Amino acid sequence: MNHKLSATQQHKSLVDGKISAQEILSQYLQRIERHEGKLDAFLSLCQERAQKQAQALDEKRKNKQPLGKLAGIVVAVKDNINVQETATTCASKILKNYVSPYSATAIRLIEEEGAIIIGKTNCDEFAMGSSTENSGYKLSRNPWNLTCTPGGSSGGSAASVAARLSPVALGSDTGGSVRQPGALCGISAFKPTYGRISRYGLVAYGSSLDQIGPLATHVEDIALMMEVMGRHCEKDSTSIPKGPDDYTSLLNKPIKGMKIGVPWQFLQDLQPEPKKNFDEAIKALESLGCKIQEVDLSILKYSLPAYYIIATAEASTNLARFDGIRYGLRSNAAKTLDEVYDLSREEGFGAEVKRRILLGTFVLSAGYQDAYYRKAQKVRQLILQKYQEAFGACDLIATPVAPNPAFELGSIKDPLQMYLEDIYTIGLNLAGLPGISVPSGFTKDKKPLGLQLIGPQLSDPLVVQAAYAYQEATKFHNEIPEAFKE
Amino acid sequence: MAQLDKKMIKYLAALSRIAVNEEEEESLLKDLKKIINYVEQLNEVDTSNVAPCTYVTQSVDKTPLRKDTVEKTLTRETFLKGAPQQIAGMVRVPPVMKQETKQESL
Repeated sequence: MNHKLSATQQHKSLVDGKISAQEILSQYLQRIERHEGKLDAFLSLCQERAQKQAQALDEKRKNKQPLGKLAGIVVAVKDNINVQETATTCASKILKNYVSPYSATAIRLIEEEGAIIIGKTNCDEFAMGSSTENSGYKLSRNPWNLTCTPGGSSGGSAASVAARLSPVALGSDTGGSVRQPGALCGISAFKPTYGRISRYGLVAYGSSLDQIGPLATHVEDIALMMEVMGRHCEKDSTSIPKGPDDYTSLLNKPIKGMKIGVPWQFLQDLQPEPKKNFDEAIKALESLGCKIQEVDLSILKYSLPAYYIIATAEASTNLARFDGIRYGLRSNAAKTLDEVYDLSREEGFGAEVKRRILLGTFVLSAGYQDAYYRKAQKVRQLILQKYQEAFGACDLIATPVAPNPAFELGSIKDPLQMYLEDIYTIGLNLAGLPGISVPSGFTKDKKPLGLQLIGPQLSDPLVVQAAYAYQEATKFHNEIPEAFKE
Repeated sequence: MAQLDKKMIKYLAALSRIAVNEEEEESLLKDLKKIINYVEQLNEVDTSNVAPCTYVTQSVDKTPLRKDTVEKTLTRETFLKGAPQQIAGMVRVPPVMKQETKQESL
């Protein structure tokens, strides 16, 4: 029964002595044993490490030593975040045998507070994709419909949480990669303000866009995780030099009178079913006392093209480090130094990663940099300004998370069409804004949909607070996919 | 408008240090043409008086500089654990320069 509770409640049960950390862990390991075969959410488990952690917690409790804020909370981690002494492959063949020599700051922080890391989750290779189908290892499935994708790129993390194989997971979000799979799997997922969670130890894709973010069954668990992870880190020079925010004490405060902007014009292409669902979500916010008003974000039409220039430019630079020399795959066919580079990268990278590296190389190459890369940076500036103008008139902005519910595996073959799945999430990364995806109901064929709430930079606690109020008013988060109830 | 052809794909692959075969060249050319055509809609946006955005949270804080001091980092032993090939406590790579005597192959 433990798996039906929030992580926050599980933590309380541990503190109150109702359950031990080892019991909590073993329940989740049993669930993984029973259900993982249907889902393929994980790339590796770190059972031994987790058991040690749980044992240490129980020992501490026995000796009446203080337990951390996250004691007993089981966490699954996207495979592009380094966890010391575990495999970190980024779902890429180029890192097949790579074992992390250190932990990411986010991992260090949650482990210091007693979180138990259970395993590493599948994702699109180097977080490049929207369906987890670009993984170099396996296809993950959506717990609500096993023929559909869980979304991506943090698809394994979202599937794990939705199927209650872990109450919480970490993902990374460069253009919607925690929020979109969160919505497609019917759970909550949060992308903080750029720089709020340290990127140290997150394998870089688009460094000016990347953020680690928590996924959870309950918004209150996201609040708890953010209090621990959202702090300054000297090892990331873009980390915001401010102390941690208070989230949990804000949770029960009413959001009456909050002004919520909706960019109706930008949303005009929304399909009937997601549109109806979004209208209902807006009504629910109104009945909580929010004032709804229109904001002009028609500039967001250009967010996707700007993103695919900036993100790929950064990716082509970041992924230059995979050279077959110092770590990762080295081609057996390579006889010369040049061949080590050319063949290791040819064998190690998948099709989408190669596509993006070449595109990024193109937009940065001599003769094209001004026309593409600099132009995209200027459009990014305009997007940032338009959001700032919009937030002059409202506290938060609401949109759907994704244009469609979960789609069938293999149904989207055109890369450009796949990119369009991120149309509503990508603008936030370009502007560095915090945004949350919270379950907003289901389609007729029981596929989850999500509401996205967006705030100005550094308004992270406000965004989480509003999402909590919405969750408590609607209760969609209590639904568990049929095949994973027991 | 960019002129994208197979020659350009070869050039980009060489810059990216990724070997690509004929078949891959074909599909990369097709995909990249489509994507570049799509991103060119940015030209509709008037950016004549706009400065490029280089750091998105600039209004929050400037990038700090760290102190230029030596810090403890990974040990040689830990670092080398990940290396595909090593020799005498160093990463081993194929010969970089040609030698007159016959080089033992790697």
